[in-house]
Amino acid sequence: MMNENGKVMSAKKAISKFVYDGDQLVIGNYTVGTCAELVFEVIRQRRKDFTLYSQSGIFDVEVLVGAGCVKRLVTTYVLRSGGRKGGSAVERALNAGSLEMEDYTNFEYNARMVAGMHGFSFMQVLEGVMTTDIFRKRSFMGDDKFRVIKCPYTGKDILTVPAANPDVCIVHVQRADKHGNAQYWGALGSVAAAALASKRIIVSCEEIVQHDIIQSSPHLTIIPAYRVDAVVEVPWGAHPTEVLGYYNIDFFMYALFTMANGTADGLKAWMDEWVYSCANRAAYIDRYIEKFGSSILDGIKAKAFYSAPANYGSAFTSRWDREGRERNMGLTMRELEKILKERGMLYE
Amino acid sequence: MSKPYTLQELLVIAVAKEIHDYENVILGIGIPTTAGALAKSLYAPHATLMMESGVIDFEPLLPPNHIADAHSCRGFSYATDLFSAFTMTYRGFVDVCFLGVGQIDKYGNVNTTVIGDYYKPTMRLPGSGGAADFLSYAKRTVLTMLGGNFVNKLDYMTSPGYLGGGDSREKSGLFPRGSGPTMLLTTKGVFRFDPETKEIYLAQIHPLVKIEDIKKDVPWNLKISADLSETPRPTDEEIAFIRNFAPAQSAGRELSLELTIANMMSKAKKS
Repeated sequence: MMNENGKVMSAKKAISKFVYDGDQLVIGNYTVGTCAELVFEVIRQRRKDFTLYSQSGIFDVEVLVGAGCVKRLVTTYVLRSGGRKGGSAVERALNAGSLEMEDYTNFEYNARMVAGMHGFSFMQVLEGVMTTDIFRKRSFMGDDKFRVIKCPYTGKDILTVPAANPDVCIVHVQRADKHGNAQYWGALGSVAAAALASKRIIVSCEEIVQHDIIQSSPHLTIIPAYRVDAVVEVPWGAHPTEVLGYYNIDFFMYALFTMANGTADGLKAWMDEWVYSCANRAAYIDRYIEKFGSSILDGIKAKAFYSAPANYGSAFTSRWDREGRERNMGLTMRELEKILKERGMLYE
Repeated sequence: MSKPYTLQELLVIAVAKEIHDYENVILGIGIPTTAGALAKSLYAPHATLMMESGVIDFEPLLPPNHIADAHSCRGFSYATDLFSAFTMTYRGFVDVCFLGVGQIDKYGNVNTTVIGDYYKPTMRLPGSGGAADFLSYAKRTVLTMLGGNFVNKLDYMTSPGYLGGGDSREKSGLFPRGSGPTMLLTTKGVFRFDPETKEIYLAQIHPLVKIEDIKKDVPWNLKISADLSETPRPTDEEIAFIRNFAPAQSAGRELSLELTIANMMSKAKKS
């Protein structure tokens, strides 16, 4: 049974409590707003042997693979730093034989999460891919990467992918309440499906807000409280990637990372400085400001462009009107109780 | 001596006590929604109340008029869709749901579709709505039968209870282990299901009701619990909550409708 405030904790505690060696780990975010601090904490705790799912395996996948946390990777898109002359942690790990990888299309990857989210064992995907090597080349999933079935209605061949139900999802959102209701807006991507497909969910957020903020904007909630295991408040939690309404991408830091990532030594040096030597996100930001000043961060802070509020109100919130009369029957409580008595409906 | 109570109030309380703290609860309209509000207020403050329309974690201020009634609360925590509300049940995230009953058989199978012939009905009832899927996949289901009947054979099987009894539900492989109806509430008593045979039996009897009154409603030799208890008297706190929150529920549908029409008529004449 969950204590009311028991879900709010540090990134350190959340990762140590809910992420284990050998887990199927899914990065909830897609391209934007990467859960950078949760990823860094996973690396700092030297977790290993993950089967890592990431829809668009850019920054997050590179640092996790570079740190040696990942054994198997399921993705649709990876980063190569520095173009032809450069390299990537994924490429280096594939060549070293320390990483196995399955390629899917964006749609197929997302379909696996949607199937998992809804409790289905597979999902129909778009059959054109049967002509490609995405379908033919298979790694650790073998026959179970795709299977083809006959449609019982049309008799046509249908391409399917198996459901994914990762052990744990780490995901960054704009805001959440202490119960775990997580609100996210902007490019929805596959964020909700990745989280809801998973067995455990760690949410980090730019800010923890009062429950009534959530209650007045339930359309922004993508993960309901009862699914969430941990809530971590981390301002700048996605830096150097961007969070809509909070800050833009930090091109400067991202460029430093990309340049470093071209070689194994470069990536190691970058991670020594920005991941391993920073105990937490506050320390990371302090180091950043100490080294580069605060003008870059100030310059990427979001200016407000608020969504129009939705009106969740109704005509009244009690069956009794201002005169104490029941709105339909027109009776006061005393009058109603008198009638109940007269009709013999009250039992002593 | 506590306040005098109505039968409806007794029923609401009996249902509310099936909701435990921290549970995820799907509420149907009528007694269950008032029971959900009562439970959340008095016994299960951390329960997550949900409606299958996708209204998740609402704090009821008024009895909802239907299962998509977001007017009954001031906001809620999570707006999802009906499809996801059912698949979350399918995946085992719903602890308890509540369903009304038209006909019920010995093993808790339920008809809410038709009395008589399906194609030429004597009485056409609402149908499944959410019932068949909820009774299939919620961890527990609480059934309420106010106007319905016990029958040897359902005219139409809408929702699966314990099928042929014994381990037949388990053996079908279609349902989560341990799921199924856990209780039936009628205006006369509370019924539960034998853990082995899955046959329904009388577990609790409401005040002023005699066992014979109940037995004559049931077309087989109804089993009675060895430790048959009486439904506890409502407390003042429970009565006050229900009467304030849902006065029409306290009065019952017939009386509240009569009083409402009388009131509206007199208002209409005045204006």
